[in-house]
Amino acid sequence: MQNLLKILLRYSNFLVFIALEVAAFLLIGFNNVYPRSSLLSTANDAVAWQHKQLSEMKGYFSLRSQNEQLAAENARLRNEISAMDSAENGGGITYRSAKVVQMTTDHLHNFLTIDRGSKDGILRGQGVRNEDGVVGIVRTVGTNYSVVLPIINTQTNLSCRFAKNDYIGTLQWDGRDSRFAMLTDVAAHMVVNTGDTIITSGLSPVFPEGIPVGIVENSTLKEGDSYYTIRVRLHTNFKRLKYVEVVGNTHQQEMEELQDGLE
Amino acid sequence: MDWSKQIIRYIIVMALQVLLFDQLQLWGACHPYVYVLCLLMMPITIPASVQMLIGAAAGIVMDIFCNSLGVHMAACILVMFIRPYLIGAIVSDKDRLNEQISLRSIGMEALLKYVIILVLVHHLTVFTIAAWSWSHMGFVLLETAVSSLLTILIIIGYNAFIYK
Repeated sequence: MQNLLKILLRYSNFLVFIALEVAAFLLIGFNNVYPRSSLLSTANDAVAWQHKQLSEMKGYFSLRSQNEQLAAENARLRNEISAMDSAENGGGITYRSAKVVQMTTDHLHNFLTIDRGSKDGILRGQGVRNEDGVVGIVRTVGTNYSVVLPIINTQTNLSCRFAKNDYIGTLQWDGRDSRFAMLTDVAAHMVVNTGDTIITSGLSPVFPEGIPVGIVENSTLKEGDSYYTIRVRLHTNFKRLKYVEVVGNTHQQEMEELQDGLE
Repeated sequence: MDWSKQIIRYIIVMALQVLLFDQLQLWGACHPYVYVLCLLMMPITIPASVQMLIGAAAGIVMDIFCNSLGVHMAACILVMFIRPYLIGAIVSDKDRLNEQISLRSIGMEALLKYVIILVLVHHLTVFTIAAWSWSHMGFVLLETAVSSLLTILIIIGYNAFIYK
């Protein structure tokens, strides 16, 4: 017993080291599967507030482009309202505008923080878009801020389809260039042309069908491959993202509960 | 040891980290984590387990800003664990080690070795765990090289400026 204590004392630093590292890796694993701690993310009120001040300071240097963006956004919203009026329902879809408080574009795991949270009705798993196209998926919701997983994050998968023939594929990011993403799972018998339009498939509850994603930049099919490698030029310019819209769905709550049951 | 000085330096360096270094967009892969300066320069006389706890805390704070819970924490704990052994291996004159690790206490040659090794360990660990896949290894190595270079230059520059 005394020997054991001696050994423990002798290696106490190493034991502390191992214990702390185990704790760190548990946190990493937990956070990847269940990223709900808004306190320990950029959805943290203090952290997001600081990012917001910084982005507003920077915002003064880009007022002109922001105005143009807002004008375009207004136009699109007006169109949407009229479309909704005439179709008498929007499929239970709601949009909430949000300001991008912080965003990275040159990491493998990029994130953006928006200034809307649970008090504005934001739920985990909701889609985020802007006037050009798809932006990402809400990952962590705080009271006043939320963290969004953009499509330019190597962890993101988005179900998409070709506008021309309903053929489904999965959009993933290869971690290289924020202007492009890769469309996978498209079988070799498909005819893929440069310039084909890619839109959301509507298969997941995240986005309704038909939100623009991008256009095919190039596609390669190596000898013997059964799937294409398709490079998609994204409509969304992540380097200049200022305002986004969170896509709500009246069935979201129910879908969320179902998803929780699966996790 | 002067705790207040260490804490004030940490706050200033962390502010620069978040407001300046996290905003850099250079070469598509430059993410210098200059906050390790505070960990590297901390006096070696603090008990080793306390040093690792301080490292864990500093790591978690950085993780909050990166949405990468645990990643910086793991890297900082590793750095704080290696640190005493590294100092023992590269510093021959142990008399001056009761103050903080700096240009003045260990000299330029030892400081260069020390900073280069630990910054590389820290950055490589952070980027490798964050990527968590061999398919991004090329990018991880580029990220480590570019970011470490800047971090090392800043830490050495800080020492040269303050302790000349």
